[in-house]
Amino acid sequence: MWRKVLTFGVLVVFAASFLLAAPVTIHFWHAMNGPLGAMVQKLVSEFNQTHTNIVVKADYAGSYSETLSKTIAAVKGGNPPDLVQIYDIGTQMMIDSGVIVPIQKFIDQDKTFDVNTLIPQVRGYYTVGGKLYSMPFNSSNPVIYYNKTLFEKAGLNPNDPPTTWEGFKEVAKKLTVKNADGKTVQYGFTSGLVGWFFEQYMAVQNALMFNNENGRAGRATKSAFDSPAGLRVFNFWNDMVQSGVMINGGPGWDNANGIFASQKAAMLLDSTSDVGMMLRQAKEGHFELGVMALPHPAGVPYGGVIIGGASIWMINTHNTMKEKAAWEFLKWLEQTEQQVQWSEGTGYFPINKNSLTKMMYQGFYAKHPQYLTTVFQLLMSNVTPATRGGLTGVFPKVRATIEQALSKTFDHAMTPAQALKWAQDQADSAIAEYNSLY
Amino acid sequence: MPRKYVPYVLLIPTFVIIGLFIYYPAVMTFQKALYKISPFGNRSFFVGLRNFENLFNSPSYSQEAFTTLIFVVASIAIGLTISLLFSLLLNEKVPGVGIFRTIVFSPYAVSPAIAGTLWSFLLNPVVGYVSYTLLRIFGIHSEWLTSYPLALIAVMVATIWQNLGFNIIFFLSGLQGIPNSYYEAAKIDGAGAVTRFFKITLPLLSPITFYLAIMDVVFTMFTSFGIIDIMTQGGPGNTTTTLIYRLYRDGFIYFNSGMASAESIVLILVMAVITFIYFKFVQRTVHYR
Repeated sequence: MWRKVLTFGVLVVFAASFLLAAPVTIHFWHAMNGPLGAMVQKLVSEFNQTHTNIVVKADYAGSYSETLSKTIAAVKGGNPPDLVQIYDIGTQMMIDSGVIVPIQKFIDQDKTFDVNTLIPQVRGYYTVGGKLYSMPFNSSNPVIYYNKTLFEKAGLNPNDPPTTWEGFKEVAKKLTVKNADGKTVQYGFTSGLVGWFFEQYMAVQNALMFNNENGRAGRATKSAFDSPAGLRVFNFWNDMVQSGVMINGGPGWDNANGIFASQKAAMLLDSTSDVGMMLRQAKEGHFELGVMALPHPAGVPYGGVIIGGASIWMINTHNTMKEKAAWEFLKWLEQTEQQVQWSEGTGYFPINKNSLTKMMYQGFYAKHPQYLTTVFQLLMSNVTPATRGGLTGVFPKVRATIEQALSKTFDHAMTPAQALKWAQDQADSAIAEYNSLY
Repeated sequence: MPRKYVPYVLLIPTFVIIGLFIYYPAVMTFQKALYKISPFGNRSFFVGLRNFENLFNSPSYSQEAFTTLIFVVASIAIGLTISLLFSLLLNEKVPGVGIFRTIVFSPYAVSPAIAGTLWSFLLNPVVGYVSYTLLRIFGIHSEWLTSYPLALIAVMVATIWQNLGFNIIFFLSGLQGIPNSYYEAAKIDGAGAVTRFFKITLPLLSPITFYLAIMDVVFTMFTSFGIIDIMTQGGPGNTTTTLIYRLYRDGFIYFNSGMASAESIVLILVMAVITFIYFKFVQRTVHYR
């Protein structure tokens, strides 16, 4: 009898020790595919190798909106991931979701992590009401890629790109080439019809998208982009299209990118995260690539650019062990080696001071000056409510509405002023509808 | 005695699957359509029929309904005509007809997202093959995906192209089911090729044509959103937004599930009407003779 009890006891202890020593598994959903996804996977396996007590399982969950919609479904189904990568404009939705743990909680507890080393422009975006809600991960901003070879052909100095909208228009005009029949064979400029660019054109003018300091002093109740600054953007964009110096790439990024890569347009508005791909395309197309900071209208005080991209959110699983493990992983991702690896492999810039300086010391930016502009522009941005970015739970809809309004002006269905007013009205009713829930 | 229960027992798996994946979500949709719901579902308020009220009072929704009507009717009329012409050609006994059939059917095997991507490349305003050819040969500069009504036409072309294979397969089987003796008899009576087509082929294909028309309504109304999402995202200026694309956008991009549920109720009703027509006319009055 006693032998049986003893055997049982030993077995229980044996099993329990296994359970206690079993590594904590963290599920991490991300929205990075292709080479970016491979890079995430590489970082995750390195983490798993160096941390025997934690296993991070990374899964590609689709595009940014697919990842968010899968997360919503998983939360409703009671089986959410522990960490999830959510795009910039999902920030207010995540704050309102009631299912997340602001990572400020861990920053306050863990003195080994110095939040002040995060680049202020990046930290500013994800800090709401004094709390850092999510861990910045892949950050980008908009730049103009330009074809230096075509600049030279047009008799322009490729090392003196324009800094104002006025100068930019002039240059674009000179870069537009027509054949004998009067058909345009090369455009000065192209960009996708992407709402994010509108927000950036606003930010360089230090102009707000929403009231209540862009939704940062309190919940935004109305939009604020139907302003002189907003109209300036609409007119600038519309004039470029109507005068034929710019070709509208349409929805998304790929079409405009294809036009630029095939040298049918000399300048392209795109994200810094594509700098690696752009360099490859330039090499294949035998032209020299330049990167210029986003110009701004002359005579209007400069604001800066807003970071785009995504951050990593922690879902509240009511499990302290898991939360701790997830925090360990987030902290590790922000360390210098990982950030340098991520940045050099992708084109997203490193988001803390030490990684940035390390890349500079190692000569990365001297060797790849195109990467330098991407970071330089960000660091030269003022941290203001306008450049920290707008916050509203209906941002995806606002962005799409502005895209619609712009295409209505291109099609002459509305004047720029009418379209802007229409977009503002649409946005306001969407914001009111959303806010009535909270 | 136990034999009485056997059929029911055998049907249980089917009922469980249908119930779980079709009826339960459908009931939930009816319920959600009456609520105003936050993206994560942590806040929801009963609003009665207000979602429907907003929907029917919104000028964009009626515009989208009209776009859908044009899109569906034009795609089907043009699509069926082209498919029938192709089938007649592919029904001829020429060497290598099997290869041609395979080539013509292949678009159907491509997913709508891929089809959309392919057409976006072809229709790129500057570097797309279609635009380039038009510019070189006719000197026409066309912005297919960014101007109205070209964008709607482009989306229709892609949809018709994708569905061509499906239609042709059915038309071909229909054509092969028509006995050759009918044509021989008509020939002896002195009927020309055109008369033979309108008096024999077309009437005898009517059941297949009706069936295809119904299937194409379902395809263009419900499956087309992948193509639209890739090619135009409903633009320019909402002119290619169909009812199903609007539903997808409200539900999965704007995360407004109350509104999206109300929209799917509207689509369920439309579908109910189509199903009614199908059973009433297609199955009863049109039959093989």
